[in-house]
Amino acid sequence: MVFITAEEILETVRMIQAENLDVRAVTMGISLHDCSSRNVDDLCRRVFKKVVAHGKRLVPVAKEIQDKYGVPIVNRRISVTPISDVVASDDPAAYVKVAQALDAAAQEIEVDFIGGFSAMVQKGFTKGDCALIEAIPEAIAGTERVCSSVNVASTRAGINMDAVVKMAGVLREVAKRTAKQDAIGAAKIVTFCNVPEDNPFMAGALHGSGEPEVSINVAISGPGVIRNVVASHPDISFTDLADLIKRTTFKITRIGELVAREASEMLGAQMGIIDLSLAPSPKVGDSIAEILESMGLERVGAPGSTAALALLNDAVKKGGTMATSSTGGLSGAFIPVSEDAGMVRAAAEGALTIEKLEAMTSVCSLGLDMIVVPGDTSAAALAGMMADVMAIGMINSKTTGARLIPAYGKKVGDWVTLGGLFGESPVMAVNAAGNEAFVARGGRIPAPLQSLTN
Amino acid sequence: MVYYVAIFSVSVYRDPGVPMRTTVIVTALGPDRHGLLAAVATTIAEQDANIDDVSQTVSNGMFTMIMFVSFDETETSMAELQNALGGTGETTGLQIHVQHENIFRFMHRI
Repeated sequence: MVFITAEEILETVRMIQAENLDVRAVTMGISLHDCSSRNVDDLCRRVFKKVVAHGKRLVPVAKEIQDKYGVPIVNRRISVTPISDVVASDDPAAYVKVAQALDAAAQEIEVDFIGGFSAMVQKGFTKGDCALIEAIPEAIAGTERVCSSVNVASTRAGINMDAVVKMAGVLREVAKRTAKQDAIGAAKIVTFCNVPEDNPFMAGALHGSGEPEVSINVAISGPGVIRNVVASHPDISFTDLADLIKRTTFKITRIGELVAREASEMLGAQMGIIDLSLAPSPKVGDSIAEILESMGLERVGAPGSTAALALLNDAVKKGGTMATSSTGGLSGAFIPVSEDAGMVRAAAEGALTIEKLEAMTSVCSLGLDMIVVPGDTSAAALAGMMADVMAIGMINSKTTGARLIPAYGKKVGDWVTLGGLFGESPVMAVNAAGNEAFVARGGRIPAPLQSLTN
Repeated sequence: MVYYVAIFSVSVYRDPGVPMRTTVIVTALGPDRHGLLAAVATTIAEQDANIDDVSQTVSNGMFTMIMFVSFDETETSMAELQNALGGTGETTGLQIHVQHENIFRFMHRI
């Protein structure tokens, strides 16, 4: 027998109805290792068949769980084995065909994104990795639902600067090819350091080599809930504030745990992880920036923003780890600019700069995420920005990623509309000082010491 | 409002011959007027579901009601109940939510 108070029941209802509490994504990870074939058409058929066979019940099951508990499940997605591990070819055209097969499978089962058009190149490239990276512009621009990620750095291997430079070129090319849709292609490409193998969030989801045949990973959300809790306690100390956030996150994460258990059982998949992340959406009231602002900052980006984010991020993880024993993925607050109405407002007013976002990256999840920069930003500048984000991840033994959108034909202050969950954003200014000679060196920035950590 | 309601776990008795009984929590919120409780209760009765417990208050003109409702899966379903109560919500101006009890147990108890 369990006792639940009326207040607790109404609290749950309020969180869902008034504060946008939702499950951000239920992502099914599918291993494609057994689809390998020397013949690329055979491979594509097998990939399509396997994704559809396992994924076809994902959308109806998510709907059933959503109705049963009255909590919205916003996105249903698929992640697959990094494609460079599945395709045995050094011809970029073969990779493009596989991307099309993935896109067709995603469309067939009605999921909005499929992630895993990916390669791990932190230490060096195989011929296949090179071909995959070369294929990214055509694969992404020519498909609707495929997402790509490339891991170019890790704490154990260092930063593959040749890969960083290649990715800068890829971003510019994708932006050009999708210029008519405000360079949306670049929003589907993540450059990672220490990529997690079980991340449910797009665009960086992939199903790593240590994962089971099929798994279910769940991404929770609920910035609105945390914001309201913070805003309704304007005078309490940081100690008390951290405690309050922890207790609230516990409740949010429990919903993720419930959904993950039930979805994995219904789908016959192994329960993977709950990602303890606070992910914003462009809806007002569903914003990380607004949480920081409710702590007492006039705008995110004000002095103290990094400290505020550090408190939030740590409290979210502490509350979340108490609520589930299956943590993983990215697990931390996200600060994507275009996807967060509060970040967009601060950027438009000039309170938030790329440099401040980079500092905030050092204490939270992901990195320079969904940042729209001028279309004429040089490849060297893009590479330098990505290298900075990779360095933060590498040195601090954490996952960082960059999703930069060089908006073709746009200048600082212009607006781009990416649509849906990607939101809209002003084009932000990039430091104009040159760095061509730096990135031209090539090679690898060595892995850091794991002691003497100051 | 401090009162406690007992929720019995639905999966304790699983005799294969006995149909499974599901417990859901129905919450109804909205501006108060006459007959709201009666309207919701009537819909639930029409769906062959049983009201195990009910609490209701009116504060500053706002009507708040929580019902523990159970039913046999053979007689009605969550979807039918949600559908019927959705209709009642539209005619009464109430926001009515039907949620399986487990979400409350998971969120608020370790």
